[in-house]
Amino acid sequence: MVNPIYLIVLILASAFLLALLHRINSFFAYLLFYLVNVISLTVSGIWSAGLLSGNNTIQIFTAGFYPPYSINLQIGIAESVILFLTNLILFLGAIYLWEKFKKEGVQSFILYLTLSLGFLGMILSRDLFNLFVFLEIASISTAILIGLNLDQRSISAGFKYLIAGGLISAFMLIGIIYIYKDTGTLSLDLLNAVGSTGFSQAGLIALFLLFAAVLIELKPFPANGWALDVYQTASPGLAAIISTASSGAVLFILYKLLPLASPGIIQFIIISGIVTFVSSNLIGLKQTDARRLLGYSSIAQLGLLSAAMGLMGKFGIDLLSWQGILIIGGLFINHFLGKAGLFWISGLVDKDKIGDWSVLFKYPPLSFLFGCFIFALSSLPPFPGFWAKWELILTIFRNGESILAFLILAGSFMETAYLFRWLIKAVKGYNSSSDPSLKIKLSKLFPIFIMFVLIIYFSLIITNLKSGFNFNLLLPLIGGAIFFALSWLPARLKTILLLFFLALATYYIYPRLTGISRYFGLMFSAGSMIFVFANGNSLKSRSGIFENLTILISSLLLLLTVKTTLSFFYAWELMTISSFLLLLKGNKSARSALTFLLFSIASAYLLLSAFGLAYAETNSILWESLAMLETFKIPVFILLAAGFLIKSGVAGFHIWMPGAYAEADDETTPLFSAILSKSGIFGLWITLGIIGEVAFKGLSFSMIIGWLGILTAFWGSLLAVFQEDIKYLLAYSSMGQIGYIILALAVNSHTGWVAAIYLSINHLLFKGALFLAAAGLISRLQTRKMYQMGGLIKKMPLSFITVLISIIALSGVPPLSGFGSKWLLYNALLEKGWYLQTGLAFFASTIAFLYCFRLIHTVFLGQGKPAHKQVKEASSWFIIPQIILLLAIMILSMFPHLFLQPLSNTVAHYLQPDLSWQGNTVFSSLGYWNGNLIMIVTMIIFMIPLIWLLLRIPAIKKVRQFNIVYAAERPDKPETTHFAYNFFAPYQKALGYLVKPVATKFWLGMSEAMTTLGAAFRHIYTGNGQTYALHIIFFIVIYYLITGAG
Amino acid sequence: MENSIFLTILYAVISVIFITVYGLFLNGVVIKIVARVHGRFGPPVWQPFLDIIKNNAKRTMISHGIMYFLGPVFRITGGIGTYLFIPAIYGSVMFSNLSFSGDLLLVVYFIFFGQLGMALGAGESGHPYSAIGVSRGLSQMTAFEFPFALSIVSLVIQYQTLSISAIVAAQQGGILNWTMITNPLATLAGVIALLGMNMHSPFDIVIAPQEIPIGPPTEYHSAFLGMLQTNRAIFNAAKLILFMNIFFGGATNIFLLILKTFLIYMISVVIGVSFPRFRTEQSIRFFLKYPLLIGILSVVISIFRQGV
Repeated sequence: MVNPIYLIVLILASAFLLALLHRINSFFAYLLFYLVNVISLTVSGIWSAGLLSGNNTIQIFTAGFYPPYSINLQIGIAESVILFLTNLILFLGAIYLWEKFKKEGVQSFILYLTLSLGFLGMILSRDLFNLFVFLEIASISTAILIGLNLDQRSISAGFKYLIAGGLISAFMLIGIIYIYKDTGTLSLDLLNAVGSTGFSQAGLIALFLLFAAVLIELKPFPANGWALDVYQTASPGLAAIISTASSGAVLFILYKLLPLASPGIIQFIIISGIVTFVSSNLIGLKQTDARRLLGYSSIAQLGLLSAAMGLMGKFGIDLLSWQGILIIGGLFINHFLGKAGLFWISGLVDKDKIGDWSVLFKYPPLSFLFGCFIFALSSLPPFPGFWAKWELILTIFRNGESILAFLILAGSFMETAYLFRWLIKAVKGYNSSSDPSLKIKLSKLFPIFIMFVLIIYFSLIITNLKSGFNFNLLLPLIGGAIFFALSWLPARLKTILLLFFLALATYYIYPRLTGISRYFGLMFSAGSMIFVFANGNSLKSRSGIFENLTILISSLLLLLTVKTTLSFFYAWELMTISSFLLLLKGNKSARSALTFLLFSIASAYLLLSAFGLAYAETNSILWESLAMLETFKIPVFILLAAGFLIKSGVAGFHIWMPGAYAEADDETTPLFSAILSKSGIFGLWITLGIIGEVAFKGLSFSMIIGWLGILTAFWGSLLAVFQEDIKYLLAYSSMGQIGYIILALAVNSHTGWVAAIYLSINHLLFKGALFLAAAGLISRLQTRKMYQMGGLIKKMPLSFITVLISIIALSGVPPLSGFGSKWLLYNALLEKGWYLQTGLAFFASTIAFLYCFRLIHTVFLGQGKPAHKQVKEASSWFIIPQIILLLAIMILSMFPHLFLQPLSNTVAHYLQPDLSWQGNTVFSSLGYWNGNLIMIVTMIIFMIPLIWLLLRIPAIKKVRQFNIVYAAERPDKPETTHFAYNFFAPYQKALGYLVKPVATKFWLGMSEAMTTLGAAFRHIYTGNGQTYALHIIFFIVIYYLITGAG
Repeated sequence: MENSIFLTILYAVISVIFITVYGLFLNGVVIKIVARVHGRFGPPVWQPFLDIIKNNAKRTMISHGIMYFLGPVFRITGGIGTYLFIPAIYGSVMFSNLSFSGDLLLVVYFIFFGQLGMALGAGESGHPYSAIGVSRGLSQMTAFEFPFALSIVSLVIQYQTLSISAIVAAQQGGILNWTMITNPLATLAGVIALLGMNMHSPFDIVIAPQEIPIGPPTEYHSAFLGMLQTNRAIFNAAKLILFMNIFFGGATNIFLLILKTFLIYMISVVIGVSFPRFRTEQSIRFFLKYPLLIGILSVVISIFRQGV
């Protein structure tokens, strides 16, 4: 293997040579520069390959002496891999920076080489003073490189960097001197042998100073103002290097020093890391400058990484163990690749304000890469950060540091918030065509693309390893990738392909499901197939829809099959992302999409904490293990229930729901409301099923969930009454219906669960049909406002029939299926003794009549608009699924026992049955109901007056719609005669005060408060170099006082 | 078996004929009473019969469309269905109707069937008065259903059943066993709700004479109107029978049925001729205040008594 000394010599020599060569022939100079980069990369690649395939760690002793008389270098697996990555980023960075360097002259190339020399030494050297020297080389090179960019801000940033660097050096040197005084050696290997216990009190302070200096290199809060300015003003190509390679090298120093750290210092590393992570993300919330935003994110990630290292040290986990590599390696690679990619993209886009990033939208491939990096940094699956965060959080919980885990999750939440705000601005922002287009150079695109390839590569590897090569976990992504590759096909063909794909998935998964999961499987698979059909309406390719539909539906199916909480969480997050992306496809969905994402992520993190807590107690990630919980039974239950309830849009947390359903693409909304809304229900069901009834001092949590459910039903219905927008009406109605389902589940009895499943399936059928009908209407009328419609019964009779049947099923009026669900619900409630809830449920269900009638009346009945004279029935891509759904409703209504009896038997496996059957009549302990007979009786009674009126048909004269008159009063125009706007004005007068947007105001206030808090912290960054120097001193003093230096 | 189906149908037909005749007479009597209160002589008690015959015999008709055409059919199906799902006379095979199809919940929900169908038919007539009437009616309906639902819940706690027959059975053996005595608060909440259901003044905001003349049925005429009028009689009587059953001990024979329902109806009538009309929002607020409180109280007391 190549001796690293040669590499050092090569770089150093080339750096000198460059200056000379450049005067002779600049081409050869550039060639030499890139050649050195390639050689470094290749050599470190060979080292990594050799060491990974089992070669021994290499020790190099300079000058042939052994420490403490000489400096030694070491190349182990960790060194070689880090070095390889650093060289890779340096090589790609060199390509990216080619134009800038060429413009600035040969000194840039030289400095870049010395920078790489600095990194090499920082990674390989095992001598404290030598480390310091290389650190200085790197720092000074960086500072000058920044300053070479002859713009005032850059020069000032470079200068601040130097000030900070100077201070850091001072502290570090003092530390090193006293360590030498105490121990007589600076060799890390010898120092490690001494350990922190071998230090005197003064030596411990020296150690503290050394660690503090290294930590400040990692930009901890608040001593990081200088770094932020650097990130913001340095050329993005350089910022990428600073954020990834420099930080990587410093982190590696921290890793090398870690064995020396005393418990106090480890505590110091952890606290400083967590504080940095949380506060940087908090401050980032208010940030609108893209690069400064990336700066905050970089600093936060470094904070997290250093905290994670400290924690590993504290928990005694070897960083080179499988767990350590997964956590630190995963977090690092995620940050390393993602951040470099984003910085480089920011250089291509070259817009300061994230609001101006909408130019990106014109370049779909680049937006795609951008999205991938954002997803990776938000630690969403399948990216390495996801697995690393899971492992980290679980490890922290397992070691009893729950509060730290919650803090990390809170920080991650904020980071996700600002990253996604940025993403949404970029892909949905205002897009004026006058914007100059981007100058996309291949030399700049290439490095970004390599980062993307690598991050995907690492994602796949880590997903495979962590899931135990469970191929199923990759299925949703493979499906998505297939449709991504086929995105050029017309929508109709892809619809058929997707149906085929879903049929296969159903065929594969259905036999693997048992019990109640089967009913969810039926909803998620067969139900989805009905709704996917509507996507064929478009003649265009509808890119972005089918990929995400595939991922969404298959991850829903995956949810049903998984056995571990990890796989569940993975599928859950995949579902969140894909539904978010689908939502983003809507026309004006930017705001709703962000709200949706934030609530989804919050819900996911609650679940993650629950899984973590459960793991802490049971040391197992199997779902079943939750049944054995004792100590953490209550908190785990609360966290799980809260997570699933938020995802179900329970009152108070519902504000994401209407926007999500209403603003999503019209063709996908039915799927959202009918299918996706059941995911939270499924989760709630597992929670109740596995953990069972939980009570705290006699207060039953199921009862609280029940109350939340009924309040959701009440407010959902009431809010729906006052909507003018057809999709908002249906969205709030969904909220109400989900409320009933939650209520029924919470009853936790046989009848309750039967009611919940029956309600779910019923809701899927009628709400899906209603949203499909709405999609058809909107496609024909180009409006969502119901008062702009009217009198459409004769133009769109099939849609009318859909809405008619669906609202009857919704409102629970016999003889249709809705009554069955209401009957089951009330019986379950009354048997349970939830009497007041029954009354409120009844009230809510009567309120449903109001919006049901408004829906059908203002759209189909009353007077039509002259503008809609030529309107035709909706396209058959909408009508056919509606007919299928109607048939299902009718069959379910006509023969409820065919479905209910098996359902009741299935539920009987879980809970003591309290429904019994006599023929087609179902009996509860209170009442009875024969759906089949009611249907027959109703039909017979209906026939008699119908025949009587039919006999009178010869006498009937048909008149036109507007041919109405009362007491010789003739209305003027149809459009002023249609009674539709503010249809329930008196109701608004009487009860409008109940629907003031309290929840919306609360959440807006919360987000306002958070951003204001962030903004307040931001004030410490004055931009003044002296202030920043003071921060560094403060940082050291405060932490010294807190930790007592060990 | 076939014989029993045939008999059931025959009994149902007889029962429906009885309720129609009774309902129409009841309306006639009330029109007469109201007229006398107003100081008029009033039409004869068989006037409702004459109206229906006249309307059905009209030679010309107008239709605004299929939903308009079906509106009255839905309405009367709702009325007859509601009646048929209630056991009218306790212990009588003929008048137990089709109550084996479902329990109290079925009846309560079936009441909506006709209202919804009628509202749809009225909607297609395209007349704004119809839509305004429906808007008012539905709004008020939600309000009075809340105390009504609570009073039913209170009954379920008391009797531990949803079967109407069982509730009637539990009240047999004298006036002291009637719900009216054993659970006065539930009865009170229920009866106030009934005032709203019957839509006499002050709750006649749907038809609202002189204001939005005759509300939803504005455009209905001839055989359509005849059908609606028939339903009005059946539906009215059905509701009264329901209330008689759950609150006032039910009836063991036709005469008791007529007496009790007549008296229950007189509550609405007396209040109706004494009070002016509410505005819609006033009516909603009215039901959601004291009647609702009474309803909640009745449930709470029932829970307490059940616990004791």
